[in-house]
Amino acid sequence: MQKKSVTRRGFVAGGAALMAAPVVLRYARAADPFKVGLFYAASGPAALFGPTQKASCELAIEQINKAGGIMGREIQLHLADAGGPPAESTKTAVRLMVQEKCDLFIGSHDSATREALVSTIKARIPYIYTPIYEGGECAPNTYVLADTPEQQVRPTIELLTKEKGVKSVYLIGNDYVWPRKTNDRVKQYLAAGGGKVIGEEYVPLGAPNKFEEAVTRIKGAKPDAVVVTLVGADNVNFNRTFAGFGLDKDVLRASMLLEENTLLGIGAENSKQLYNCMSYFSTVPGAAHDAFKAAYKAKFGEKAPQLSIIGVDCYAGAYCAKALVEKAKGTKAADLMAASEGLEIMTATGPVTMHNRHLDKPMYLAECEGTNFKIIKTFEGVKSGETCKQA
Amino acid sequence: MDPLVTTQLLNIVFGIATLAVLALGLAIVFGLLGVLNIAHGELVMVGAYAAWIVQTAGAPYVAAVPVAMIVCGLLGWVIEAGLIRPLYARPFDTLLATWGLSLLLRKTAEAIWGLGYKSLALPMPGTVDVFGAAYPRYRLMLIVACLAGMTALAVWFTKSGAGTRIKAMVANPELAQAVGIRTGRLARNAFIAGCALAGLGGVMVAPLTPVHPFMGIDYILDSFFVLVVGGLGSIAGLLAGAGIIGGLGSLVSAITDRTAGYTTVLVIAILFLWLRPRGLLARA
Repeated sequence: MQKKSVTRRGFVAGGAALMAAPVVLRYARAADPFKVGLFYAASGPAALFGPTQKASCELAIEQINKAGGIMGREIQLHLADAGGPPAESTKTAVRLMVQEKCDLFIGSHDSATREALVSTIKARIPYIYTPIYEGGECAPNTYVLADTPEQQVRPTIELLTKEKGVKSVYLIGNDYVWPRKTNDRVKQYLAAGGGKVIGEEYVPLGAPNKFEEAVTRIKGAKPDAVVVTLVGADNVNFNRTFAGFGLDKDVLRASMLLEENTLLGIGAENSKQLYNCMSYFSTVPGAAHDAFKAAYKAKFGEKAPQLSIIGVDCYAGAYCAKALVEKAKGTKAADLMAASEGLEIMTATGPVTMHNRHLDKPMYLAECEGTNFKIIKTFEGVKSGETCKQA
Repeated sequence: MDPLVTTQLLNIVFGIATLAVLALGLAIVFGLLGVLNIAHGELVMVGAYAAWIVQTAGAPYVAAVPVAMIVCGLLGWVIEAGLIRPLYARPFDTLLATWGLSLLLRKTAEAIWGLGYKSLALPMPGTVDVFGAAYPRYRLMLIVACLAGMTALAVWFTKSGAGTRIKAMVANPELAQAVGIRTGRLARNAFIAGCALAGLGGVMVAPLTPVHPFMGIDYILDSFFVLVVGGLGSIAGLLAGAGIIGGLGSLVSAITDRTAGYTTVLVIAILFLWLRPRGLLARA
């Protein structure tokens, strides 16, 4: 009885092995997969963007794999949560490098996590950083696709000073590095355009902020425009309070990180005279973007995660990996860094070029129309303003 | 008076009035039952979503008040029966249990509505002229409603039989039971009332802020500080706590900035916990 049962089990196992053989053989023939670690907001305060980040990266990887992968190697995605404290992300990074032997990292997260990752990776594998940031990242083997203050601020301030006749500006933002660095650039361009800053304040990041007092202060200061570097729920809250106090009729607003989710929160009745300049809006025109949106909808359906700059950046991240590694013919840091100069990269809205390990890219100036972004001006090939030297 | 000063004074009154109502449910449950309901903020969140659903359905905004209070009251009924009653007189365990509940409520909301911000239209848009200062109509209405509600509650608590029975239950549960007060039912009703008031708070703040699953966290901390400063078990204490925490927070924010406002609130809360842990006006 015992013997018979073993035989039968052996038979079943053997059969399964035979049936699986073609699959095993096919994988054995192909080259090792190219392992990409994606650091994104699976949890934490930015988790709202997580689904879009993951979906956009998956779409790009599917497209790249269909077209032969990276140098014939199929991309294998390893997801890593960057929504927790930076120390958690670095632990994950070590595991992905040592155990999984990842070939490359893509990151869409805050700067604290970026700095921690840069010092953990130590340029051993390429690291592509994708969202909006404050500039200044020149670590070796690190490639930045993010919008920089230079790219966002100049078009915004020129709109305010040249076309809208703005003379005085009030600055309000969250208290961390991105708003402060961005506002440094705002002051610089404002001075050049003949305007001046008449008030500047920062509220803590991640605190339950209320904006009645700040809005009343702004009302008293009577600026022509307010430049807003608040993020997420604070950005929503401020703009709702601003309009609630009736300031939206007389004072222009330029927000520096206002994407689709935030605008939905602000609401149609609170978005009058609200402007914004970024490299991505879901309403950007063009054939490349239409094709991207069609593919995104085909893959994820009607309930696909909301398209927004934080999220769609991961699509370009995956294409940057392909372009970079194929041009360098490998993943050696020196080769990659040399290859990055003048590298053409596909993004959701079309090709862009890398210089100084940052992107020169088209920027779009948008005016809010209800809960939609109306593109009022396109600036082609805006330089990043970053001057990272070649190593 | 300078219209800006008037506006800032109204902001302070607004801060105090809304904080008093947001903290009220927490005060009832903590003060009367000794249960610190960490999930209070999440019930505010549920109330805000109820308001969003009512407004999206096209019903008048006032309808959100009973809907949210009933939804949160029913939730409170279930929570009391399933979670709180087995843990009465075990404060630390209720703390952990309601903390777990807050995670569950947040994640449930995330599963149903996603993490995106819901935006409600202001039920009373525009501004009203108050002594030369244009103040938002809806905020003004909230100030009036909160003050009226608190006054009514204070009168009810001091004059009504139910108020007396509650006081008896809190002062000496065994004796209250011995004289025929059904303390079990009274405690349950107090908990349900606390939850329903959290729902009401959600309806109040929903048109002002982004509605999302994590919004509750914003309301629990200040409400807790109100109880620390004001002391437990009296309406005067609640108002004093809201006045000091909400008022001083707003005042310092108005004069300097929000960071200084927070620092002030935190320093005061720490000083009270250290030097006067029973608060200003705790029931003896």
